[in-house]
Amino acid sequence: MRNLTHHLAQRRYAAALVAGTLALGSLTLGARAEAAPTSEGLECLTDAHNTFSLTARDGYVSTPDGNSIYMWGYGPSSGSFQLPGPVLCVTAGTHVRVILHNTLVEPTSIVFPGQSGVTADGKPAQPQLTDTGSMTSLTQSADATGGSVTYEFTAGSPGTYLYESGTDVAKQVQMGLYGALVVRPAGHPAQANDRSDSAFDPDHEYVFLLSEVDPDLHLGVERGDPVDVAHSTARYFMINGRSMPDTLAPNHASWLPNQPYGAMVHIKPYDAQTNPHPALIRYLNAGSVNYPFHPHGSDERVVTQDGSALAGSGGQDLSYLKYDLDVEPGQSLDALMDWRDVEQWDPATNPIPTQLPAIQDQLLVGPDTWFSESGYLGKKGSLPTNITANNECGEYYHVAHSHALQQATNYGATFGGMMTVFRIDPPAGCPTS
Amino acid sequence: MPVTTFTAPSTNLRPRLLLNCGLAVVLALVLGYVLLRPHGPGGSAGAAVPQSTQLESRTGVRFSRVAVVGDGGLVTLSYVVLDAEKASAFQADREHPPRLASEARHGGTQRASIMRAGHQMRAGQTYYFVYENTGGAIESGEQVTISYDGLSLEHVPVL
Ligand SMILES: [Cu+2]
Repeated sequence: MRNLTHHLAQRRYAAALVAGTLALGSLTLGARAEAAPTSEGLECLTDAHNTFSLTARDGYVSTPDGNSIYMWGYGPSSGSFQLPGPVLCVTAGTHVRVILHNTLVEPTSIVFPGQSGVTADGKPAQPQLTDTGSMTSLTQSADATGGSVTYEFTAGSPGTYLYESGTDVAKQVQMGLYGALVVRPAGHPAQANDRSDSAFDPDHEYVFLLSEVDPDLHLGVERGDPVDVAHSTARYFMINGRSMPDTLAPNHASWLPNQPYGAMVHIKPYDAQTNPHPALIRYLNAGSVNYPFHPHGSDERVVTQDGSALAGSGGQDLSYLKYDLDVEPGQSLDALMDWRDVEQWDPATNPIPTQLPAIQDQLLVGPDTWFSESGYLGKKGSLPTNITANNECGEYYHVAHSHALQQATNYGATFGGMMTVFRIDPPAGCPTS
Repeated sequence: MPVTTFTAPSTNLRPRLLLNCGLAVVLALVLGYVLLRPHGPGGSAGAAVPQSTQLESRTGVRFSRVAVVGDGGLVTLSYVVLDAEKASAFQADREHPPRLASEARHGGTQRASIMRAGHQMRAGQTYYFVYENTGGAIESGEQVTISYDGLSLEHVPVL
């Protein structure tokens, strides 16, 4: 993220306060050994020949309120059911082959919105019609219980794309048949797009694949009952197939065997010498409504939308800073995110020159908030009793969630759903005990 | 919020049931669930969480999982509501959240972080607290003691 203005930095800091950072005295931690590693983030599925074998299967996912939901999903053919499908990572201009095997009880398929020249079993991928002209699928499908189909295309412009079912789309996508396709610029894998100003830190790359679940509809499909997709009501809202607080858990957490991907951004402050590149967050919406996703305490710079670098015809930079990322159905946004300690607040040498607001002024929603005990990065303070404290070593945790608050619940239970935290460690990292 | 489904809180109990959410039905289901469940609720992986009848009748909840999350900085404590009235009081007792203490090392976290529910708690559902994990006080793979109001539950595995 470039050219962060002072004004924005102030807004960012104010937002950080609102998000729940406050100085109430300080406690300086002694020096410790090893810094804890930051989160693993995006887990790419790659292949030397860009050939990916996916199998559509059924299985169950768990939600934080204890529910177990019947889903469909694309998983690696060598693996098992998972939600969402694996993140396929390829390079622009390369030939990609995706072989779909279908174990479901009805035909299914994959469409690759944003990719051109897609073929299915060697023929142009195209909508499938009945004799009377009604469409059965947006593309050639794999037959139920054992069918397969091979799609091929040349990866298009760099960016992030959905891949999803093209058959009985509203129902099958709701059931979980979706995943992310990441197309990297040729020769520049650490850029979001072909522009050099989209460079990011490859160790801090994330996919946030947003989706929703109507458990009644899933139960109907599981029982083989007819379902009315048009009148479904989503109760669960997910990032990478998980709801808060499971979003905070690591990739491949043992208690989420079918939901392998976490959704927590974990970075250190920007530093021109030691940490010059921002994180990259690739947002995707596999759901049916707009998800107004926003991190507290930080703008993000949108650099790519739906695989198009945001640039003018003359190459001028049209990327933009955004606090509320409106990710619309089917859309993708690639956003660079960093955190800059502009004011360098320090309780001894550079105290925050204002009366910090009372707790009651900092409500996230309701009478509790999230709190890192100190306004000073790397410092801890004392803790009011009604405050959610999340602080290992003076790091900041900024909540990031859908601002449509019903989407930040687990079946109506606040908070949950499409929510996670962005963790910012002190420059030296967070020491482990 | 209209509620038309109640779903059993475990992958162990299938098929999931679609019921009108009358209190009696919920209680019956929870009771059946408590009697029938072969393992600790809340997940198919990991060692079983021990139970304490005393603690359950005091709090109205059964602890179901302790997990280190947030790249080591946070701890989630999940619990299943057995008695909605008691559980609501337990959850609302902000001054005295349950304490998590490592059994392997001195210390632990008393820094309870209450993700307070802005809603009516329901029997059979799982809710959670998020704790800070100051200095990495609690580690994945060890056991902790959960204590609340003079009662404690020992040897709870940390995922
Ligand atoms: Cu917010």
